[in-house]
Amino acid sequence: MAHRVSRRGFLKIAAGASVVAGLSPTVRRVALEPFVRPPEEELPGRATWYASTCRQCPAGCGVIVRVINGRARKIEGNPSHPLNRGKLCARGQAGLQVLYNPDRLQNAVRQTGGRGSRRFEPVQWAEATDQLASALKGVGGKARVGFLGGSVPTHLRLLVTRFLEALGSPGPVLFDLHSVLEGGAEAHALADRWFGSADKPIYDIGHAEVIFSFGANFLETWLSPVSQSYDYGTMRQGQSGGRGFLVQFEPRLSMTAASADQWIPVPPGTEGLVALGLGRIIVEENLGRVGSHREHAQLYRDVSVGAVAEASGLSVDRLQKLARAFADADRSVALPGGYLSGFTNASQSMDAVMALNVIMRRLGREGGVFLPHTIPAEAFINPDLPSPFRDFEKLIQKMRDGQVDVLMVHGANPVYELPRWAGFADALTNVPLVVSFSPFINETAAQADLILPDHTYLEGWGFEVCSPGGDRPVVSSQQPAVRPLYDTRSTADVLLKLASSLGGAVSQALPWPDEVAYLEEASAQLLGSSIGVFDARTPAGFWSRWRQLGGWWSTKPIRQEPVARGLPQGPLQVPAASFAGQPNLFPFTLLPYESIALSDGRGADQHWLQETPDPMTTACWNTWVELNPATAAQLGVTDDDIVRVVSTHNALEAPVVVFPGIRPDVVAIPTGQGHQDYGRFAAGRGSNVMDLIAPVVEREAAVLAWGGTRVRVEAVHRSTKLARLESLDGKGRETLR
Amino acid sequence: MSGAGRRRASIRLMLPLALAGGAVLVVAAILLSQRTAESAPAQPIAFSHRTHAEAEIQCLFCHPNALRSDVAGMPSVERCAGCHRTIATTRRRIQTVLGYWERGEPIPWQPINKMADFVFFSHQPHLAAGVGCETCHGDVGKMNAARQVVNMDMGWCLNCHLKQPETAVARLTDCLACHK
Ligand code: SF4
Repeated sequence: MAHRVSRRGFLKIAAGASVVAGLSPTVRRVALEPFVRPPEEELPGRATWYASTCRQCPAGCGVIVRVINGRARKIEGNPSHPLNRGKLCARGQAGLQVLYNPDRLQNAVRQTGGRGSRRFEPVQWAEATDQLASALKGVGGKARVGFLGGSVPTHLRLLVTRFLEALGSPGPVLFDLHSVLEGGAEAHALADRWFGSADKPIYDIGHAEVIFSFGANFLETWLSPVSQSYDYGTMRQGQSGGRGFLVQFEPRLSMTAASADQWIPVPPGTEGLVALGLGRIIVEENLGRVGSHREHAQLYRDVSVGAVAEASGLSVDRLQKLARAFADADRSVALPGGYLSGFTNASQSMDAVMALNVIMRRLGREGGVFLPHTIPAEAFINPDLPSPFRDFEKLIQKMRDGQVDVLMVHGANPVYELPRWAGFADALTNVPLVVSFSPFINETAAQADLILPDHTYLEGWGFEVCSPGGDRPVVSSQQPAVRPLYDTRSTADVLLKLASSLGGAVSQALPWPDEVAYLEEASAQLLGSSIGVFDARTPAGFWSRWRQLGGWWSTKPIRQEPVARGLPQGPLQVPAASFAGQPNLFPFTLLPYESIALSDGRGADQHWLQETPDPMTTACWNTWVELNPATAAQLGVTDDDIVRVVSTHNALEAPVVVFPGIRPDVVAIPTGQGHQDYGRFAAGRGSNVMDLIAPVVEREAAVLAWGGTRVRVEAVHRSTKLARLESLDGKGRETLR
Repeated sequence: MSGAGRRRASIRLMLPLALAGGAVLVVAAILLSQRTAESAPAQPIAFSHRTHAEAEIQCLFCHPNALRSDVAGMPSVERCAGCHRTIATTRRRIQTVLGYWERGEPIPWQPINKMADFVFFSHQPHLAAGVGCETCHGDVGKMNAARQVVNMDMGWCLNCHLKQPETAVARLTDCLACHK
């Protein structure tokens, strides 16, 4: 009789055998590969931490990078840094995926099949820089050069400005979607109008008692979110007496609104009007303990509280209560947020908000409005502000007219970030040489002739003059945590090399042999400053402390009191915002909001960020359309149903997220997806909400009113499964009901 | 035969089989773990510790990290080249080393002493306690090709840890001293 070992028996034997085998020690049999040249300070098996600066957004938080065996393993917040005080946001944490991104360019390339062909061939650095140098020399030495920057580190911005000046070209145009959405240019204009200051105002959130935030998502992406989140914690914990009170005015329940005591979704574009109404009530009823409001009366002469109530949908009674809450507090502050900058009435709305601070005499007071103290050294005077849309339009016009021979692009991606009507992509065809310094092939780099990839920020040098720098002047320094992984080259070094080969005025203006020499010299200007957190006897000693600590800042908080230039002449007014699209054909207002993970799209190539759920909807990995439950029911759609969102200019399709935290007449879509290029994690995923934006431009200040597009929503009777961490309405969790 | 009966029969047969199989594996595992590697593994370069020791080069000159880190580390190619760009440059082996240096490639040395992954061993406290390299690595200075001379198992570690001053023994024999 044949005895067979049954299947179950065999498994038992196998399991027994593997248990026994498991008893033998596990040893790794790998070759021991020593370093060819060990990195400085490297101790095998021990972590070395390098202090540097986060470059995932322009805030400039301090980081420390844990490096083992020459590889960066983890990024943490720099505990000494006065801005983020050891904390970091999700984007900061994900920075390793910029360094190790599999789709990075590994060397300089030339596009051989014509622009947009995406056929790239490696080119030697010397050859590539020679090509650029001879183009800059131009025919008869009169090349017309354009430089378009996004969030360029301060040191590079300063070098570029010198470079262009010496070439006799206009200064760089700095324009990127993040700064558009946070209202960067408008915030500078606001400071200039009211205080004659070139720096953005800073708002002392930490010590405020009552905050009225008009579309400032200060816990997410606006200005310096980590620093502001920290301050928000301070304010909430009542460290300056009592728990602070936050009111958020915006049409969608953002994460900041969700952290507020009151979320007041007024119709898009009426936020400034509400501020005006509140001001009128304060002045009229002489509220607050700041003395007479007589001199302010003329500001509000033309304001009718009834009209404000009607436009905003808030009752007069509600407005009065809000005005009292704001005025009765000793330390209240009103924030003119980035959302205000998205409308044709941007500057008037922001003025109305700033006026609240002025009439309550909150300038230079604890918990109020300040201006930054400048860095006490010439090398850090930072003249380049984010350019208003007007300047960008001028550059496009010049390109279109064939007045630009060489265009250099660093850190900006307008082909992706702006709708086609802006005309950037078309104007590019009239530029003979387009050079990109992007470490990745993004949509704009795909239209370049040459890509000279910069290092990623964990491999590069630099500094950032933090603006805002919290309560003190801060320069955050950047140094390589690891050696460059590939044959990339610092753009600053490329410029210095170009300068020396161009000779003459340019090489005189940029005399440094390399980027590090320039940085060493710049940092040494702070040597001997009486307010600095450290000092040294020699420049070399200073330079090493500068790198060790992650920058330079003052020991104590130092801010400037803004001095109002005098009140605005004539009464304040906030005209109604203009929108593109007839309300009967396009019944909804489109709210493109900045994704907390992908920001303006620059984070889409990092899959950690792709899978970071949006804090309000828990959705990720895609684009979605947020609809109020009533709106969704009216359209007959629900979660995961695909809808078509149509504006006067374009249309996109995306799945629905039914979201109770949004006005029924508003449709919100996050930014960041819909890339055509930019690597495997970004390309071909979701849709780009900026494609829908209609050309609503405020004529006088040439503000791109990105919030002024109306849309209609159509069901397409298909659905898809949107990746979400959890459902909002308890679906699938019926047992809990 | 009923289904249940067949199952019993197969279990009866299976048991000794499993035991025998298990025993073979246990023996194999023990033998493997006792492998004191009389033979040295083939190295990319026939490096002689003896030559270097006879030139009175200290262990820590090439393995300085033992003093400061968990791992002693292999000398960087730069360190080899540091001397050999001028010393014995005509020898074939040295030219191989310099080849690595010029190509910027690491030399893929084969490890001699292997410690299981679950042991948290650190060189630094051993050196700080005055334990000489040869205690664990044998008289490498007399070997041409380095080979493992000590079977680094737990018994061997404990043997030494138990011989330490009485005040330290409790700490040194604590499981968590090495198995964190
Ligand atoms: S706020 Fe900006 S700078 Fe700070 S950690 Fe986040 S991404 Fe980095």
